Amino acid sequence: MAGKAVITGAGIVSSLGDAPAAVHRALCEGRRGIRAFADGAALAAGVGAAADVAYDLQPHFAARNVRPLDRTARLATAAAGLALSDSGLPMPSFPRDDVGLVLGTMFGSVRTIADFDRRAITAGPQYVSPLDFANTVINAAAGQVAIWYGLRGVNSTIAGGHAGAYAIAHAADLVELGAASALLAGGAEELCAAAAAAFSRAGVLCDGNGDATPRPVPFGSQRHGFVLGEGAGFVVVEHADSAAQRRAQVRAHILGHATVCSGRAGRATADGEEIARAISLALDAAGVTPEEVDCISASANGSVDGDTAEARGLLGALGARASTVPVTAIKGMLGECLAASGSLQVICMLESMRDGVLPGVPDFQPADDGATLAGLSARPRQVDPRRGLVVAAWNGTCTAVVLRAADRS
Amino acid sequence: MRRRIVVTGVGPITSVGIGREACWAGLLAGRCGTGPVQSFDTGRHGANRGGEISDFAPPADLAGFGRASQFAVLASRLALEDARLDRDAIDPQRAAVVLGTTSGEPQFIEQFNDAEVASPPGNTGSELAFSYPCHLMATRVAADAGGWAFSLTIPTACAAGNYAIGHALDLLRSNRADIALAGGADAFSRITYTGFARLGAIAPERCQPFDRERKGMVPGEGANMIVLEPLDAALARGARIYAEVAGYGLSCDAYHMTGGHPEGLGAARAMEAALRDSRMTPGDISYISAHGTGTPTNDRVETAAVKRVFADRAYAIPVSSVKSMIGHTMGAASAIEAAVCALAVADDRIPPTCHLENPDPECDLDYVPNHARELRVTTAMNNAYAFGGNNASVIFRKVEP
Repeated sequence: MAGKAVITGAGIVSSLGDAPAAVHRALCEGRRGIRAFADGAALAAGVGAAADVAYDLQPHFAARNVRPLDRTARLATAAAGLALSDSGLPMPSFPRDDVGLVLGTMFGSVRTIADFDRRAITAGPQYVSPLDFANTVINAAAGQVAIWYGLRGVNSTIAGGHAGAYAIAHAADLVELGAASALLAGGAEELCAAAAAAFSRAGVLCDGNGDATPRPVPFGSQRHGFVLGEGAGFVVVEHADSAAQRRAQVRAHILGHATVCSGRAGRATADGEEIARAISLALDAAGVTPEEVDCISASANGSVDGDTAEARGLLGALGARASTVPVTAIKGMLGECLAASGSLQVICMLESMRDGVLPGVPDFQPADDGATLAGLSARPRQVDPRRGLVVAAWNGTCTAVVLRAADRS
Repeated sequence: MRRRIVVTGVGPITSVGIGREACWAGLLAGRCGTGPVQSFDTGRHGANRGGEISDFAPPADLAGFGRASQFAVLASRLALEDARLDRDAIDPQRAAVVLGTTSGEPQFIEQFNDAEVASPPGNTGSELAFSYPCHLMATRVAADAGGWAFSLTIPTACAAGNYAIGHALDLLRSNRADIALAGGADAFSRITYTGFARLGAIAPERCQPFDRERKGMVPGEGANMIVLEPLDAALARGARIYAEVAGYGLSCDAYHMTGGHPEGLGAARAMEAALRDSRMTPGDISYISAHGTGTPTNDRVETAAVKRVFADRAYAIPVSSVKSMIGHTMGAASAIEAAVCALAVADDRIPPTCHLENPDPECDLDYVPNHARELRVTTAMNNAYAFGGNNASVIFRKVEP
């Protein structure tokens, strides 16, 4: 059963654009989607910059009324539509009972929930909008995407910073179990000033002094925090048999995956133990040895401790291969998009598999912490990624996904 | 041959009782746990009924957590005790927590807003980033249970408990874990209450599911976690088995965010998917624990959906809603109702739908009005429906000795 799930399409909305190939090209050019973030609440807490989606999403919605959708739902709906189109699923045949959605998000929308409550306590509870209440549930975006495209099958929402990657892994299980013919799977996260302020106060952002041009460097020697981003990424996951039946393009096979938590109530281990275990279990499930891993998309975002733990986890799981395998970490350019990150990593890996180039980590200089991955580079590299490993870790939870490139015809 | 998974422990925290014995006795007796809201001013809400758990005293070691996390951790402790598990015998690397919730810990957003609108504004910290996010609830349960290495929060609103149980079932069936705590938790919330009040969905006095005069739901709070393990493992350790989780099914209305499909098509598809997954037919179901919120629309549509799936047999299946007693506990609701189903199957007794006095021609099934019933319960179906059009049904089955 395992290894029978394939990816047949991808859609992305990010600070670097809304086409997977263009985003990948920007990453390979070392461009950053980070710009000044001038929201008052965030600014007051020292947030100077973020990798937000600054362009108009309306072209993705044609003439339909998007008023019922909050920002998280709009990001999700745009990316989901792009993924459906890319997969060639026959849109006119929707609604469909056998197509669904698994959406990862950390916050749903703090902005929507907080604004709803703010209006109730200032204007009075009788003045809140029922439309806004519908969006205060954390599964609102998944419900809105289902309504938008007529997805009547399995519809689930997964919470957490690793959730975009977990959603893709879970979708693979669900199509293998026969719970759906096809599932949109990925993550969506909006940039919210109140949440950004909270991250800033916790001292984890690298723009904590209101710096409008921070340059976070995952795994880098001078790193001192991350920059928040926003975006959404979805892939279409299908059973290999049904994809073959409808002659869909297969972008990659989901060979195996695993998710492991530290068991420490949302705190990571310093030595990346849960990351190492997730990687080892995922490789086992995929039937892939460390030597057979051709490249890695890591979760590192510029965090001082988090990146070291991930490097140690990779070293622990991959042994000697860790000193040679090419590694990229794209959050220095796309920002830490929380639950969306894992799905953005998967989609960028699909592009690396297509064109054989792995993005570099701009400004990277090796850290002197005894946990250096030799495969990191400031520059993009030519690779032949037959088998790619995506690592999505947050707060002591790690999802690792092993992908195999589609056979070239 | 897929692994058979059974329920060996439950830990309900409800307004009619905390722990299996107190809760089950309260529900069978038809006790009502709802009353005037105490925790915030409802003077301008046009409603004042709620199902708060007034006698909940969080254990001292959980004082730093939000109320929903306190519920979830305590429910898990109760469930593990009820299962009489030797915690030291559990391999934490093979143990999973899957938790459903509607709102997570909304009190952190409420506190944030209270501080921001105060004059002068109060301090806000990093809580929204590192205390509020709802995935932390499951990680807290996992840490408390003994450093369990899998934890997941599924925030699919009022169907979340069933989603969590279904997800845990898949983890165990596919050999990703050997034991799981699965369920849901939600704390009474100003935000949730305000929203339902604005929708005009809150009953003025009491929750009367399926009654012609029903006037709405009553928001509540609570939690339940159930212990799930493979049948062979449970038999090997001589565990008391309440029921097998035979299967589950999910669907989405893809129709409206807060109102279900008018003909209950999505609800029917979830029931049918659960029957398929359980390898059962409609003739196999002996009891249905209804979503049964007490709103005019839900109860009418849910009745229609049950008839769509079960045809004439619908009239022979007792259907009840414990929301008539404890109110709608949001993401915890279907988790608590999972305990109801498991205990009904174990005990051959089903709790009533309380406050059901006036028959409604559109709700003409056997709703077990006002008095618990003794009846052989071979199988029980647990139905839950949520904002976002998320539908989830889980089926429990008696394990014959």
